[in-house]
Amino acid sequence: MFRYHLETALKSLKRNPILTALLVGGIALGICVSTAFTTLRHMYERDPLPGKTGRVFYVRLDSWGKDRAFKREDPSSIPDQLTYKDAQNLLKCPIPRRQTPSFITAKFIHPDPKVARPYQPNVRLVLRDFFDIFEVPFQYGGPWSKEADDKPEQVMVIDDATNRKLFGGEDSVGRTVRMEDRDYRVVGVLAPWRPPLRMVELGRNAEGPPEPIYIPFNHTVPQEIWLTGNNSGWKPVPINTFAEWIASERVWIQYWVELPDAASAGAYGDWLRSYIEDQKKLGRFERPVKYALTTIPGLIEEFHLMPEGVKAMSVVSLLFLAVSSLNLVGILLGKFLARIPEVSVRRALGASRAQIFWQHVIEVELVGIAGGVVGILLSTAILRLLGRFMANGDALRLDSEMLLVAFFLSVVAGLIAGVYPAWRVCSVPPAMQLKVQ
Amino acid sequence: MLEMRNVTKIYRTESIETHALEDLSLSVGAGEFVSVTGPSGSGKTTFLNVAGLLDTFDSGTYHLAGQDVSRLSDREMSRIRNSTIGFIFQSFNLIPDLDVFDNVDVPLRYRGLNAASRKRRIEEALGMVGLSARAHHLPSQLSGGQQQRVAIARVLAGDPKLILADEPTGNLDSSMTREIMDLLERINVGGTTIVMVTHNPECAERATRQLHVFDGRIVDLERPRATLAGE
Repeated sequence: MFRYHLETALKSLKRNPILTALLVGGIALGICVSTAFTTLRHMYERDPLPGKTGRVFYVRLDSWGKDRAFKREDPSSIPDQLTYKDAQNLLKCPIPRRQTPSFITAKFIHPDPKVARPYQPNVRLVLRDFFDIFEVPFQYGGPWSKEADDKPEQVMVIDDATNRKLFGGEDSVGRTVRMEDRDYRVVGVLAPWRPPLRMVELGRNAEGPPEPIYIPFNHTVPQEIWLTGNNSGWKPVPINTFAEWIASERVWIQYWVELPDAASAGAYGDWLRSYIEDQKKLGRFERPVKYALTTIPGLIEEFHLMPEGVKAMSVVSLLFLAVSSLNLVGILLGKFLARIPEVSVRRALGASRAQIFWQHVIEVELVGIAGGVVGILLSTAILRLLGRFMANGDALRLDSEMLLVAFFLSVVAGLIAGVYPAWRVCSVPPAMQLKVQ
Repeated sequence: MLEMRNVTKIYRTESIETHALEDLSLSVGAGEFVSVTGPSGSGKTTFLNVAGLLDTFDSGTYHLAGQDVSRLSDREMSRIRNSTIGFIFQSFNLIPDLDVFDNVDVPLRYRGLNAASRKRRIEEALGMVGLSARAHHLPSQLSGGQQQRVAIARVLAGDPKLILADEPTGNLDSSMTREIMDLLERINVGGTTIVMVTHNPECAERATRQLHVFDGRIVDLERPRATLAGE
């Protein structure tokens, strides 16, 4: 029966192509606007690591002085990064499956003079777990080894753009990159990777691209690598040497953990609590015991990374879809009621009220789906245009989840527009119309 | 085949009640060819709509092919209309966008028959009404008589036990009228019960039994044919 309804609906739509185009256009406009703004919102709201929801956390400890909170105006605030010594101590915890401290520096790269001039990119120092925690994609090689972390070895992971710049895009695993006065061996080349938000450090330039170069975190002390990112402190102690910097209470390390399961968060929290209590005995952590384990979506919300208006616009765009669908109710009502004589004949010949209803619902759903397809194409173009004006615009695209949402919206739009007209047409008593045709 | 007892049908508006059928009782046996005559507004079409389960009634009982159809759901009534009853209308009621083949196919689709079975039935039915060559013509490309033959083919394809015909020759000239009546007689001879509403005394005469409806009641039931013909 479904096939017959489908054939009947297609014939009906072909009968008046201009009216059909008008209906499809109405839905397409609504789908285009709603999908574009829902996608924009989705880009900011979604968990970039959906397979690890509830397991990947950004770790913060309240190591601030007793006189005031991290943010003077917010007594509940907690320092946004860790001290070096806390990061080192947290690494001793056996609970996380993976963990990494992390910070950014800037180093001069000296390419082959025939290829490029020296330049100074950002370099992120991490442990090898970083690549697994954030599911960083590789096109050649992979992360360095655990041993390379421990020694540490002079190894490097570079991104696709750096690989193209230095090595013409070929497999450069095993090749050497001269950074400052040292040679680093390339062990991995990232595949093009542009998450919508730079999730590894959302507190700074969140919409920027990930860093192009990664080296082992444990080079920090031997090479006395200073950070170029943000740091904060509360203790008025002069810092003149790198050793003083490392031993200070200044916070400048981001710390991420991946727990084996969501249930481990409690155990890890207990471990952090007892760590803070131990540190209190040593005269540190002057404030009440406080730590924070925050998911990536939690940080997005906490740092207000979604631009003002995106949420409101996504709601308005859904209302726009509803209004444009409701506008079609009148047109469909006219179209369907004009067909009452035919419907009456079908009823006389054995069609039930439900069959007539579904025949018409299928017709409007065809309109809805066609409108959805056109709307998705239009919204793809709009998103591309919108992306040109955004720092993270490359990531603004329809993913499979948003395609499903757009399809769902077109089905709903069809239902909004068509259910009432379909119900009206199937409710007309057939006997009234058969005699007067 | 068709047995109504004390059937009443009242149309109500805010201020007026119209008794379209008034204690109507009637029995039509299997294989009968019954004509129903009566003045305009006497309730002929209402009777046919009630008999065809296209309209409900207010009181009384109605048995069709041995089944009490007085209080059925829309789905059950639709199923009976589709499998047991065939309709022929004065204005043919073909679907203008469908060609002859697809028009005849409509009731078979709602019956859920497979494509091969539908095709066989449609071709047989069109052969019986002499329109095999016009299977892919649109109704607008056919004469009135041909359109009514398509409507009859649509009925024949469904192989109903009962045919309800409402002024089947009302829009046709005398030659076409004879042709259609011949066809109906042949169908009746095959065993199908026919109840035909008509204004045409000649057509009424060709039925095996004539009924007269007046003010919503069946009158003149079992009266001699000659008396009715003279009215």
